[in-house]
This record gives sequence, structure tokens and C-alpha cells, in this order.
Amino acid sequence: MALDTAVRAAFERVLDPRDVLSDPVKCRAYECDGLTGYRVRPDLVLLPRDAAQVAAAVRVCHEHGVPFVARGAGTGLSGGALPVADGVVISVARLKSVLEVDPVNRRAVVQPGVTNLEITAAAAPHGLYYAPDPSSQQVCTIGGNVAENSGGAHCLKYGFTTNHVLSCEVVLADGSVVTLGTDTGEQAGPDLRGVFLGSEGTLGITTAVTVRLLRAPESVRTLLADFPSIAAAGDVVSDIVAAGIVPAAVEMMDTLAIEAAEEAVHAGYTVGVPAALVVELDGPVEECDAQFELVKAICEEHGCTRLHIAGSPEERAKIWKGRKAAFAAVGRISPDYFVQDGVVPRTRLAEVLDRIAGMGEEAGLRVANVFHAGDGNLHPLVLYSAAAGETERAEELSGAIAELCVEMGGSLSGEHGIGTDKACSMPKMFGEEDLATMHRVRAAFDPDGICNPGKVLPTPRLCGERPGKYKPHPLEESGAIERL
Amino acid sequence: MNSPLTHPAPTTTLRPTDLAGVRDAVRDTPGRIAVAGAGSAAGWAGALEPVDAVLDVSGLSGVITHNPGDMTVSAHAGTPLRALVEELSEHGQHVCIDAARIADGATLGGLVATGDAGPAALVHGTLRDLVIGVTVVLADATVARSGGHVIKNVAGYDLAKLLHGSHGTLGVIAEVVLRLHPVPQRTATLVVDAPLARAAEIAARVLEGPFEPAALEWVSDGSGRLLVRVEGTDEALPARVSRLREVLGGASATDIVSGERHSHPTTSGESAVRSEDPWLRHAELTRGTPDAAVLRIGAKPSVLPGLVSELAPAAATVGLGTGVATLSLAPDAVADAHRRVHAVGGTSQLRARPPGADAPAWGPPPSALPVLQALKHALDPDGRFGPGRFSPWM
Repeated sequence: MALDTAVRAAFERVLDPRDVLSDPVKCRAYECDGLTGYRVRPDLVLLPRDAAQVAAAVRVCHEHGVPFVARGAGTGLSGGALPVADGVVISVARLKSVLEVDPVNRRAVVQPGVTNLEITAAAAPHGLYYAPDPSSQQVCTIGGNVAENSGGAHCLKYGFTTNHVLSCEVVLADGSVVTLGTDTGEQAGPDLRGVFLGSEGTLGITTAVTVRLLRAPESVRTLLADFPSIAAAGDVVSDIVAAGIVPAAVEMMDTLAIEAAEEAVHAGYTVGVPAALVVELDGPVEECDAQFELVKAICEEHGCTRLHIAGSPEERAKIWKGRKAAFAAVGRISPDYFVQDGVVPRTRLAEVLDRIAGMGEEAGLRVANVFHAGDGNLHPLVLYSAAAGETERAEELSGAIAELCVEMGGSLSGEHGIGTDKACSMPKMFGEEDLATMHRVRAAFDPDGICNPGKVLPTPRLCGERPGKYKPHPLEESGAIERL
Repeated sequence: MNSPLTHPAPTTTLRPTDLAGVRDAVRDTPGRIAVAGAGSAAGWAGALEPVDAVLDVSGLSGVITHNPGDMTVSAHAGTPLRALVEELSEHGQHVCIDAARIADGATLGGLVATGDAGPAALVHGTLRDLVIGVTVVLADATVARSGGHVIKNVAGYDLAKLLHGSHGTLGVIAEVVLRLHPVPQRTATLVVDAPLARAAEIAARVLEGPFEPAALEWVSDGSGRLLVRVEGTDEALPARVSRLREVLGGASATDIVSGERHSHPTTSGESAVRSEDPWLRHAELTRGTPDAAVLRIGAKPSVLPGLVSELAPAAATVGLGTGVATLSLAPDAVADAHRRVHAVGGTSQLRARPPGADAPAWGPPPSALPVLQALKHALDPDGRFGPGRFSPWM
């Protein structure tokens, strides 16, 4: 059932009527995010120009019981910005001003439509930068980063979006505007900013974000190392950690990912090697140099077949270009692919990658791996051909890999979110009481359930089954934890 | 502060020794419940109203799982952080929090519930930044978990954050999973005698440079001193210290063996050795004096020194990089201090107060108060946990 004309008129009273899109052709551009397999055409798309218009639009939704989905750049990979039938999309793409850069206090206030990289660009003249760096940082918005609690290659050392957002101005489901968090991150009472971050748009829409900026490190050292096996590369990661070094980044790629990246950007990777590591250290020059020598020695101890040290900022950029382009590059070696996003304890990396390889063989599909090895965040890319009728098999394999991560004591998602894609897998990771408690939190923010319904938490409608049926957590099965 | 509860003695004290015991205690005990740990923050926040029972979680102690290779640990909430740190140090790892009352036996759950932190917050934030999983028992005996055992995880809502700073009003924290960091090989602290305004200028120079201080605090108990802590490797730290000393204009430097800052001097010999540790004095001043009200405030670093000077505390520790300060004030100055902090966009909360003093715990309510109230109602509809802690907000 389409939204009635009274609702549309109400939106046109609070926004410029030209900013209320209802033409089905125009609305079709908003029917999915980066997870293109799920599509729902919204009835209306709203393009507010400032925070007051966002709040006014949400108030109309509240008054008329219309569900809404906030949308930034639409680069999400879990269907978090999938529209709701009979609902509206509220795009924050026009709220793209850097409101303030405060070098003295090392923070910036930005609107949600500002891209991740634009924050660093605004901070750079002051010798500052914004640390969380998703691979999509050129295009993804800070509003989306807040919704997904985004990560990236440098989060092992520096933390995730939640560690760098001091406060958010938020429009709640009833259209009221509140500030969550403070100028310092110091709280007086429960940390509402913390629970809002990563809630995937289900608790409200952020209209301004105050982020912490860091001083650019004095020294950065980057190396690319090839290994005869995934296990050897994994041992290097373990030994670096055991040596008390916290690298700025440790990224691993397997044969297929290396081949794809090299074909796409000619970053100087060695095609054919079983595993490559990108290790980056940063900090004061003395510490950085001393630890870098140690990292090189650890690589050599584990049979490193080639050690390439970036000798200039250009060479460093090239190494990173290969890594960051890897997802897209996989398109060169396969007509289609799914990007999965699961996390395992770092010490189980080799075991999990073995299992994934076996599962791929069983399904008759290739799986490329490129991932954040330092924090165990895997990104298996399941390669398939839709034309050859492999879609369903690939989808099944991708889902099974995510659930394998949970079985290994990890998580369904490290940075892409649960969204629509994995809501039905949530009972694999959480028990009935855990999910029921999350529902209670959600209802406290949004009693009528109009904020991005159907995302994160499983619903009977979404999954075709009753949610929350108890299944033991893998840690319970192993005896590490007890269920009551 | 080890101050006793100030309300009439409750009729029941419950001392469960495991998670099932906590759930049973909450389920089988009617009425209002206060959660207690080591008691090191029993007098913080709003004064507790009379309760029917005290749930003492200090019997829930010890590590559940420690995965050195993954640098994560799960522990029962009643575990004294000092004990946890001692156990982890065998593996060269630690929890990056150095709140003053850890030396008093503060527990992991209590540190989360009170949102406490110390000077290390400059780099590592508070426990909300280190907690990656939590198990909580709600007022209806629901046992809920969120997060997990991996540091990178965005599955579901981060309930640990909600409990951080909740002062036992939303649920009983039973288990906590933390991310760990390597213990630095070497720590050095440079000390500069300076009044606050000058210390702030020096701090700004340090922060503008490539020095990456691990802590940057001004302490005052009459005369002021700036403490700059740096951490690193045996090999590289001396050169960094020497570069930093130039910027500070000739500071005295104290080398401190890593790991000692959680320790508490117990013998006269130890005390004599550690009296040179400026961070022990920092911790003492953060705790405050028995006749003072202790106010924790947060504000932008650029306005904090002016604000602290205006409030004229008897003793203070001031995080010049974090924007967080702890001030010892006369109890009758607290209400005005709340107003002044709020006027510059800051936050404030009362910690200790002298017995019988009537200082308000909280300043003006945040704009999100309706959300806080809705969350309290959703998780504890009958108001069983921690009555009075957020008075008059809720």
C-alpha cells in the first residue's frame, strides 16, 4: 500500500517539495545499498538540507506511523540501508559540511554526509587526522560509519569509530533532538553514545558528529612480505603480538586475492605466492625504527620468501592501493562474488582458513581471502557465476562461513554490520534472552519501531521463523561459559 | 574512598559466588537492591536510598578465560583489577586503566559501573573503550550477554557501553570481557614544577609535537606540578625522553618500572621506594581528602584550566589532554561548581562527599534524559536497582 497523499503533503510542508521524491524511477536509485541482492523501492525519498529538516521529517513519520530508513552514501554491505516497503528513505547526502575543526582541542564537528576521508582532509592542515579508515573511506560517510561502528586497517592500534566519536546530535524516533556524549567523552551517567554507535540506524538518525582527531605520527614504516604458507604468515602475526608490538596495521592476502589485486593495480605483489602480509608501524621515529627491525627479523625467521620495504610515501601508497583495491579487483578473476565479514580469535586464523578452503572445495567454488589479520577480521570473497547458476550455492557458502566464525568463538560481523543480510543468523551468536534484552533497548529509543525496522535483530517476518530459539553458544559447548 | 553506605543497614546481604547465584539472588529477593563490590566507590554519585538487600558481588572473582595470543581476557565482575593485572603481567599484558582506586581493591564490575578511569585515558580511553563483552543480570533475572571475545565486533547492540557509568541502576554486571595491551618495556615520567596556566602551555607544546605522551596530568596540593609519562622500548625510550626534556625546559625525570602504578605501598620499605613515584601522589589527590567533596568534571581541554582556576579547588588532578579533572571542593561549593561546568558545555558528577554533607551529585540533566528514563523503565521497570543514584534525574 502506497503512502497516502496526506503524508506526502505533510513532508512537502516541512521540506521543499522538490526535495520529496516520489517518482518511481527516481526512487529506484535508492532501492538498495552495496548489498545489491536485496532491493525494495521506497515510496518516498526525502532529501533534507539541514538538521532541522531531518527532525521535521522524522516528526512527520512519527505522527503518521511511517517507518524510515536513514541513508548516507549507500556503501554499506549488509543491507543496513535497505528501504522498507511503505516507508521513506531519509538521505543525509546534502548534510555535508565540516562545521568546525578545532586543532587546539583536536576535534572536529561534521555533518553526517561528510565522507570519512574529507574529515582527514579538513584536519590535515593542522597536522591532524581522523583514525578509523574503512577501505571505502573515499566515499563512505561519517553518518554511516557511526551507524555501523566502522573499522578498517588501522583500527587494531587505534580503535574503531566508537573510540573516536565524542558525541552525536541525534534525531530520535519521535523527532526530538538530543545530544549523546560530550565534548570530552567523559560521561555523567550511562554511555548512550556508546550504545547508539553501531546500532545501524535502528535508534535514530545522527545530524552532527563530534570526532576526536589524532596527531599524525612522526614516522610510518611499511613492509610487504611473502610467505610459503598461510600458517607461516599467521605465525608472524602471533610473534609480532607476542613481542609486545602493536602494529598500526597487519593485513593478509592469499593467492587469489594477490592475483586479483596485482592484475588490477600492479602494486608489486608477487603473483603465485600462498600468502602475503602488509605490516605497518607508526609512532615516534626511535620506537618505530627499533620495532620495525624486530618485525623484519620475525618475518625472516618464518621463511619469508620476499621482503619489500616501502622506501618512499609513493611506494607505501602503492602497497596500500593494492590492498584496498582487492575487493573490487576480484571482479577481474570472477564474474560475481559475495563479500563476507566475520571475525575469529586471531590465534584460530590458520584453522579457520583451512576450514573455509575445505568448504569451498565441497561447494565447488573458489574463495579469496583478504583480511585484517591483526584483529582476526576475515573477508572471505566467495567467487561464483550467476550465469552458471551458482548464486544460491555461493550465498549458502557465504552464510555458512559467517556462522563458522561464531562457532570458532568469533563474531558474525567485524565492520560491515548485521543489517538485513545476517539478522537471521543472530540467534547463532546470541541467545533468546540476549536478543530480547536488545529488543528492550531498541524499544526504549523507538517504542513504535519506525527506525529502520527489520535490521540487526531477527524478526519472524524477516526470517520466516520465530526468532531467538535457543541454540548453545560455541563457548558454552566448549565449557568456557555457562548458560543459565 | 572507603566510606560506608550512609543509609540504614539493609536487612539482607546476598553473597553469590557464581552467575547462577546472582540470577537466583535477583529472582528470589523481592524489593530494592544495591550492588556492592569492594566498596571503593560506595559513596559516589547520588546517595543510595534505603534498600531491601545488598548484592555483594565480591565472591564472583577470578579469571574465566585468558587467551594471551588473542590478548583478551574474561573475568568475573568482582575481580579486583589489581589482582587481574598481577595475573596478566606474567604474560607481559595489562588492562590499560589506572584509576586511582584500583589500589583500594576496586573491582572490574565496579570500575565499569562507575565509569572510572585514570591518566592512561589520554591514549586508551576509559573501560568503555576496552570492554568487548559483558554479561548482565537484569531486574527480572534475565541474563543477557552482548559483545564477545574478539576485539572487532559489530554484531548487535553494545550493552557494555550502556552499563558504563550506570552506577548499578540498570543491571548487575556479572562478567566482563576485556581487550588487553602489552606492558611497555619502559616507562618514564618527567616532572615540571609549574602553575596551572604555564603547565597548560607546556602541555599544548607536548601535544603539538611527536612525543605521544601516555599521560599528561597537572597535580596540585598547594603547589602545582606537570607530570608527563612516556612509554616505550628499553632501546628507544631514552632518546625520546631526552627530546621531550628539551621541550619541557629542563624537567626532572623519574624512571618507573612498568606495572607498579597499580600497586599500593604495604610496607615501610616499599613506601620509601615508591614515595618518589609521582603517580602515587596523583592517585592520592584524585581520591580527595576526607573533609572535602570530590567532583569529577569534563570539559574541552582549552577551557579546563580556566574552569579549574575559577573553582579554586583545595586539591586537583587535571588531565590537560583528556579534559577530565578531579577536584576537592568544600561541599557547599558543589552546586555552584556543577552550574559553572555546565555553562561551558562540560559534565560533572560527585564522587566522595564528607559524611552528612548535602552536596548535589549531578548537574543539570542532559538533553537525552527522556531516553535514559525510558531505558531505566525498559530494563528495570520497578526501579529495583540502585535507588537514588541518579536523583533527581530519575
